Amino acid sequence: MKTVLIVLSLALLVACTPKNTIDDFELQSSLDSIKNKQAIVNEEVVNSILEQIPSPLEISVLLKESGVDYNSRVINSPSNISRYHSTYQKALNLGIYGADLGYTNIYGQNAEGIRYLTSIKTLANDLNIGQFFDLRTISKLALSSNSLDSLLLITTQNFNAINAHLQQQNRSNLSVLLLTGGWIEAMEIMCDAAAQNLGNRELVERIGEQKIILEQLTLLLSFYRDDAEMASLYEDLAQLKTIFDGIQITYTYVESSIEIVNGVAVIKDNSTTTISITDKDVLDIKNKINSVRNKIVS
Amino acid sequence: MKKIILIPLVLIALNVQVALAQCNSEEISNGCVPTLTQNGFNFLKSYKIDGETDLTKVEYSYVFTKGTQYMVTICDQNAANSTIMVTIFDSQRNVVATNKIKGSLLSGIVYPCNATGIYYLQYTFEGSSNRCGGSALGFKK
Repeated sequence: MKTVLIVLSLALLVACTPKNTIDDFELQSSLDSIKNKQAIVNEEVVNSILEQIPSPLEISVLLKESGVDYNSRVINSPSNISRYHSTYQKALNLGIYGADLGYTNIYGQNAEGIRYLTSIKTLANDLNIGQFFDLRTISKLALSSNSLDSLLLITTQNFNAINAHLQQQNRSNLSVLLLTGGWIEAMEIMCDAAAQNLGNRELVERIGEQKIILEQLTLLLSFYRDDAEMASLYEDLAQLKTIFDGIQITYTYVESSIEIVNGVAVIKDNSTTTISITDKDVLDIKNKINSVRNKIVS
Repeated sequence: MKKIILIPLVLIALNVQVALAQCNSEEISNGCVPTLTQNGFNFLKSYKIDGETDLTKVEYSYVFTKGTQYMVTICDQNAANSTIMVTIFDSQRNVVATNKIKGSLLSGIVYPCNATGIYYLQYTFEGSSNRCGGSALGFKK
């Protein structure tokens, strides 16, 4: 009878054990050619910074609402995918293509978007995160003219799920590359638009405000400087940061006021930021971003 | 004999009970997303609010951009009587928004941001032992 009890207890224990097989682990490890410096990187700190980084989609919406025309020449061609061989290149360019997909979606360039989806799916598969993209469903949404909301929702959810998955698996280094790639691409698109219309102060100010995000990204990359490729990217962004050092952001806090509209608290934000940025700053940032990006997409 | 067989069965039953009592904050936060899209906001993030491990607050952060409207929706496991309070702080930890107005906890906040910076979304629980819910963040120009 004692044996029966032991067997049943063991069965219970096995049933409650997470199903993370050794094979899965080995596969993950072999895919991560970038050395993951777990001993020195605090994953919790990294993840808390990662969650702050805004979606590149916000910049695409800003451009569209500002009346900036769609420009297919500024984004990375999906056919460039054959150039990306290392995990580092694949993760960065997955972020870049993700930003491009959002850009094409916002501008209703659905046929173009499907080409990006295909490249995204390929890169995601190579990084062992392809399970988060249901190409069939997303393509169907992309081809439907009135499914923009669903398309944006599902693609954003997919990228969020990828980041959460990578963080759970202690592969945050890939999340850092993904988000950095997305930010660089959004900056490339925004700087290109601003350089052609320096009179658009809203766009120019939004570029100046990227100083806040760049500080977070350089901090994130600094944790991985033991890796040669990530160290090189860190150096590039550190140089970009020196241009941003000349830009002043002044914040003034004033208490908000609140009213209730349809059962929701609607805030009137009385605080302000003022941005001190010159046209030369914009052009310098544009040139540096362009040079950093070219290293990644070429 | 009967007792010995019963022990593992009780263990299994307890395990099932614990599983049922667990906070499925991921599912709840996903359920919070449609309110965003119905109000014309683009989905950005969903946040789990699981205070069952004696956490008194759950906090997330995000960079809000000037000229952009953000909406935060809050969903409590106990939908009929929500006890989740969200407070938004700026980077200097000044309060800029809350869903608690005149003692009532509202189901959402619309925050038209006028100052770009890092903001903290802090979720606390107003006198409840049921500390489980979810939240979603969206934006529009």
